[in-house]
Amino acid sequence: MNHLLATIVAAPAIAGAVLLVVPSTQRLAIRVVSLLGALVSLGASIQIALQYDRATGGLQLLETVPLVPSLGIHLKLAVDGWGVALLLLTGVIIVTGVLASWSVERRDKEFFLLLLVLVAGVFGVFVSQDLFVFFLFYEIAVLPMYLLIGIWGSSHEVPASGPFKFAWRRFAVGSKEYAAMKLTLMLLVGSAAILVAMFLLWGNSGARTFDLQVLEATKFPIGVQHVVFPLVWLGFGTLAGVFPFHTWSPDGHASAPTAVSMLHAGVLMKLGAFGVLRIGMVLVPDAAAWWAPIVGGVAVVNVLYGALCAASQKDLKYIVAYSSVSHMGVVMLGIATLNAAGWNGAVYQMVAHGIMTGLFFALVGLVYERAHTRAIAKMGGFAHVMPVVAGFFTLACLSSLGLPGTAGFIAEFMVFAGAAKGANAWWAVPGVLGAFVTAVYVLRACKAIFWGPAPAGEYSHLEDVRRTEWAAPLVLGSLLVVFGFWPRLLLDFIDVASQGYLGRLPLVALAQVVTP
Amino acid sequence: MTLASCLILSAAVLCVGIYGLLTRKQAVAMLLSIELMANSANMVFASYGHFRGGPSAQVFVLFALAITVAEVAVGLALVMLLYRRHGDTALDLASEARQ
Amino acid sequence: MSAVTLGLIATFAPLAAALLLWALVPLRHRGAPAAWVTLLGSVIALAASVKLVIDRLGGAPDVRTTIPWIEERGRAMAELGVQLDGVSVPMLVIVCLVALCVQLFSVAYMHDEPPRAFGRYFTLHALFLFSMNVVVVSPNLLQLFAGWELVGLTSYLLIGFYFAKPSAAQAAVKAFWMTKLADMGFLFGLLVLYVNTGGFEWTAVPGTAIATWVTALLFLAVVGKSAQFPLHIWLPDAMEGPTPVSALLHAATMVAAGVFLVVRADPLFAQAPATREVMLWIGASTAVFAAGLALVQKDIKKVLAFSTCSQLGYMVAALGAGQAFAGFFHLGTHAFFKALLFLAAGSVIHAVHSNSLDDMGGLRKKLPLTTAAFVIGALSLAGVPGFAGFFSKDLVLGALEGKASWVPWAMLMGSAFLTAFYMGRVVIKAFWGAESEKAAHAHEGGLAMTGPLVALALPSLGAGFLGGWLATQVRAEYHLHLGLTPIAASAMALLGIGAAIMVFGKGGQAPLVGTLEKLDAFSLVDKTWAGAYRIGLLGVSSLAGWIDRYLIDGLMNFTGWAALEGGASARKLQTGLVRDYAMLVVVGVLVLVLIGVLR
Repeated sequence: MNHLLATIVAAPAIAGAVLLVVPSTQRLAIRVVSLLGALVSLGASIQIALQYDRATGGLQLLETVPLVPSLGIHLKLAVDGWGVALLLLTGVIIVTGVLASWSVERRDKEFFLLLLVLVAGVFGVFVSQDLFVFFLFYEIAVLPMYLLIGIWGSSHEVPASGPFKFAWRRFAVGSKEYAAMKLTLMLLVGSAAILVAMFLLWGNSGARTFDLQVLEATKFPIGVQHVVFPLVWLGFGTLAGVFPFHTWSPDGHASAPTAVSMLHAGVLMKLGAFGVLRIGMVLVPDAAAWWAPIVGGVAVVNVLYGALCAASQKDLKYIVAYSSVSHMGVVMLGIATLNAAGWNGAVYQMVAHGIMTGLFFALVGLVYERAHTRAIAKMGGFAHVMPVVAGFFTLACLSSLGLPGTAGFIAEFMVFAGAAKGANAWWAVPGVLGAFVTAVYVLRACKAIFWGPAPAGEYSHLEDVRRTEWAAPLVLGSLLVVFGFWPRLLLDFIDVASQGYLGRLPLVALAQVVTP
Repeated sequence: MTLASCLILSAAVLCVGIYGLLTRKQAVAMLLSIELMANSANMVFASYGHFRGGPSAQVFVLFALAITVAEVAVGLALVMLLYRRHGDTALDLASEARQ
Repeated sequence: MSAVTLGLIATFAPLAAALLLWALVPLRHRGAPAAWVTLLGSVIALAASVKLVIDRLGGAPDVRTTIPWIEERGRAMAELGVQLDGVSVPMLVIVCLVALCVQLFSVAYMHDEPPRAFGRYFTLHALFLFSMNVVVVSPNLLQLFAGWELVGLTSYLLIGFYFAKPSAAQAAVKAFWMTKLADMGFLFGLLVLYVNTGGFEWTAVPGTAIATWVTALLFLAVVGKSAQFPLHIWLPDAMEGPTPVSALLHAATMVAAGVFLVVRADPLFAQAPATREVMLWIGASTAVFAAGLALVQKDIKKVLAFSTCSQLGYMVAALGAGQAFAGFFHLGTHAFFKALLFLAAGSVIHAVHSNSLDDMGGLRKKLPLTTAAFVIGALSLAGVPGFAGFFSKDLVLGALEGKASWVPWAMLMGSAFLTAFYMGRVVIKAFWGAESEKAAHAHEGGLAMTGPLVALALPSLGAGFLGGWLATQVRAEYHLHLGLTPIAASAMALLGIGAAIMVFGKGGQAPLVGTLEKLDAFSLVDKTWAGAYRIGLLGVSSLAGWIDRYLIDGLMNFTGWAALEGGASARKLQTGLVRDYAMLVVVGVLVLVLIGVLR
C-alpha cells in the first residue's frame, strides 16, 4: 500500500510548515520550498492518474486513519475517476500559480504559506471519503482567501447607484477589504448550510457515520433528502457561483492577486461543483432527480446572464471573472442533465475551465503588472510589445468560446449534447447562445487590448513574458490544445466515475434519458 | 437561633447589598455591595452546614471566600484604573463601550 | 500507400508545417524559411491528393476509416476519421492546388513584410490548409464542424493580419462574429441530429420533420460561411486581409465550405424539400443582389468580393434545386477562376499600390501577363462559352430549368448579364483606357507571382471539360445539351460584355450605377446588423451588468447593511451604566423567582 493520496495532501502542508522556519529574508528559498511542495503534489497526482485502474473504476488507493472513532470520523482517503481529473488540474494550477507569483514582493513568505495551506485543503477535498474531513478540508481551502485578498489584493471604486445606494456608505464597495469580506461571508453562509446538511445525513444514516461509502449505501428518507439537497446545492453552489449567489466572484476575483485568482477561479470554484455532484447527486439521488430541473434552470440563467454581464464590463479582470460565472453555469447545467454525457461534460468543463481561466488570470496579471491598469479603454496595440502574451490570450479566448480543437469545445459540446438528450432539451439553446455571447466579448476584449496601432508613451516599453512567467502560458496553453484534440486522456477517468454514480439515480430520472 | 432566622438574616444582607448596588455611584461602594451579596450567599451555605450537617458546606464557603478575595482584588484594580483614567471612581464615567 | 494514409498525409503535412513553425520560433522569425516550410507542407499535401486522384482513375474504391474521439461507456459518441470518395478527393486537389498557388504568390506579394510578420503569415496559411482539409476529408458532420470552426479561426487571424490597422481588426472580429452567429445553427443542427439518430452521420434517415429541422439549421451556418444574404456583410469587409488571403479563403475555398457542406450532407437535404426551396430562393436573391452591388464598387477587391457572394448564390440555388453536382462543379471551377482573378488583382495592387479602380487604367501595356490572366478569369466568370465558368454556370441554370423554377432561373439569368457587365467594367477601367498616374511605374512581379497566375489560368480555361469525369466521381448524370439555357446564358454573357464596352469603353458611367450607389443597399443591411448589435447585445448586456451590480449585488450589500444597522440599533440597549445592568439582573432574577413560585 502506497501513500500517494496522503502525499498529495501533505506535500503542500509540509512545505508550508517548512516555510515557517525559513527566514523571510531568504526570498529565493521561500519560493523554492513552495515550488517543491507544489511539484511533489503535481508529481503525485500524475502518479495517481497512472496507477488508477480505469477499467475497474470506483474508489481506489484507499488509506484509512481513524480520527474520532466514537463520532464515526475517520481520515479516509481514496480517489474516484472525477477526483483523478481534478487532482491533475489542481496540481497543474498550483505549480503554474507558484511560478506566476514569483514576483510577489510584500510579505512573500506569508503569501506562499497561505497559498500552500489553501491548496492542501483543495487536494484534501478531492481525496476525502469522509464527509466530516471533506468539510474540514473545504473550510481550510476557503478561509485563507480572506487574508490573501485582503492583504495582497487590489482595489478600485464602484460608484454608488441603484435602489440600494444607501448601503454604499457602509462599505467601500470595490475595495479589496470589501471583496475579501463579501467573499468570506457569502461562502461561510454556504458552509453553514452544508454543515446542517452534513449533520442531517449523519443523524439519519443509522450508523452514525460520516463515511461517504456508508452514506452512499444508505437510502435516506425522501423527506430528509428534500431538505439536504437544496442545502447542499446552495451551500456548495455559492462557491460554484450559482445565480444569484455569484456576486462574491466578480469582486473577489478582480481584487485578488494573480495566483489567487488562478487558484480560486481555476480550482476552488470547482470544489463547489464537485460538492454538488459528489454529495448532492450521489448521496441523495432521489431528491437530486426531483430538483434537477430547478438546478438546470438556474444554471441556464448563469450561462447566459454571466456572459451578458461579462459583455458589459470595462475592467479586464471583471470580464474574466464574469466569464467564470458563465462557464461554471455550464458545469451546473451538465450536472443537472442527469446523464453520462452531461456529467462527463460537467467534469470535463471543470478541468477545461480551470486551465483556461488559470491561463486568463496569469496573462491578465502579467498585463496588469506591467501596464498598472485593468481598464480596457486605456489599452491597445499591446500585441506589438508583448506578442507572446497576445498569442496565449487569444488561445484562452478561443477555448472560452468553445472553439473545436480546444478543451472548451469538448466540454461544452458534451454538456449541450447531454442537455439535448435529457428531459429539458431547451437548455441547450441558451447554453449555445451563451457561447456566442462569449465569442462577442472575448474577441472584443482581445481586439481592444492587443490589436490596433502600436502603443505610445508609457506603454511603448512593456515587456513580454520572461523567465518563470513562461510556465503558466506554456503549460496551460498546451494543455488546452492537448485536451481539445485528445479528450480520452481525461475522459477515460471521468466516464468510469460518471457511469458508476449514475447507476444510483432513480429510474424515473433515467427513463427521461433518450438512449438511441 | 434557628435555621429560619439565619436565612432571614442572610436575605436581609442580600437586600442591603442589592439596594447598595442599585443606588451607589462610587465603584468602591458598589464593590462593597457586591461583597455583601456574596457573603449573604456564604451565610446561607454556612447556616445549612451548621443545621443540616456535613462538611461540604464549609468547603464551599471557604472556596467561595477565596474566590471572592480574588474577585475583589481584580475589582479594586479596575477601580484604580478607573480613577487614573477619569480622576474619579464614579462607574457611570466608564460607558465608552456604548458609542 | 493506402488511400487512408494518403488522406492523412494530405491533412497532416500542413499541420506538421504549422506546428514546426509554431514551436521553432527562430525559424518563424527568420521569415523566408517559414515560407519554404509551409510550401513544402502544401506540396506534400498536393502530391498526396494527386496520387489519390490517380488511384481513383485506376479504379480505387471509396474508403472510410474512423477512430473514436469522445467516448461514453466505451462507445464512441463522436468519431474522427477520413472519408475519401468522389466528393472529397477532387475537392482535396482543388484546395491543395489553389492553396499552393496562393502561397507561392504570397512569397512575392508579401516580401516587403517584416520577417516576423512574414513567418506568422505562412504559419497561419499552413494552419488554414490543415483546417480546410479536415473539413474536406471528414467522414461525419461533427468533424466537419470542427474543421469548419478552425477555418473560421484562421480566417479571423488572416483578415486581422494587419492588426495594427483598426479597420482590419474590426473586419476580423466582424467576420468571426457573423460566422459564429450562423454556426450556432450548425451546432443546433448537430444536436438535433444527435438526439434523434444518436450520431452525426449525413447518411442518417431521421424522417422528414427532423431532417427539415436539421437541414434548416445547417443551412443557417451555410448562409453565414458562404456569405449569403443577409449574413453576407462580413465578406466585403474581409478584404482588409492581404489579397492572397482573399483569394484563398474568401473566394476559392473557405467560403465554399458552406456549399461543400450541403454537397456532403446531400442525403439529408434530399429528405427536406422545404429547406431546399428556401435555399433556392436565398441563393437566387443573393446572386442578383450581390451582382448589383458589385457593379458600384470602386475597390477592385470589393468588386470581386461581391462577385464571390453572387457566385456562391448560384451554387446555393443549384443545391436548392436538388442538383448537388451542379453546385459542386461550379464550386470547383469558381475556385480556380476566382483565385486567378484575386491573384491577378493582387498583382495589379502590388504594381500600383492601391486598391481603387480610379488609380488604375491602361495597365495592359505595363502588365501584359496579369492582364491576360485577369481577362481569362473574367471571361470564365462571365460564362463565355468555352471557358470553365460557362460549363458549370450552364449546369446550375439547367438545374433550375429542369425543376421549372422559372423565377429563380430568370433571376440568375439577369445576374449572369450583370456579372458580365461588371467584370467588363473592371477590365476596361483597370486595363484599358488612359494610363493613370500610379500605373506609370507599374511592372510585373517575379516568377513567384506570374507562375501561379499561369497555373490557375489553365484550369480556368479548361476545367469545364472535366465535368464529365467529376460527374462520374459523384455518380451524377452529366450531359451537355444544346437547349434554351446554354443559349440564353451565352447570350447574357456576350450581351453583358457588349454593354460594358458600349458604356464604359468611352469612359462613361452607366445611369444604373449612379442609382444603385444612391440606394446604398449594402450599408443598409450592414447598419441593420450594427443596430442589432448595439441595441440587442450591448444594450442588453449593459442592462444585465447594471442589474448585477446594483440589484443583485445591491441586495447582498443591503443584507450586509441591514445586519450592520440592526446591530447598531440593538446596541442602544447598552447604556453603559452599570446600575442599569444591575437593575436588569435583579429584575430578571425576580421574574425567574416569580415563575418558580407560580409553578
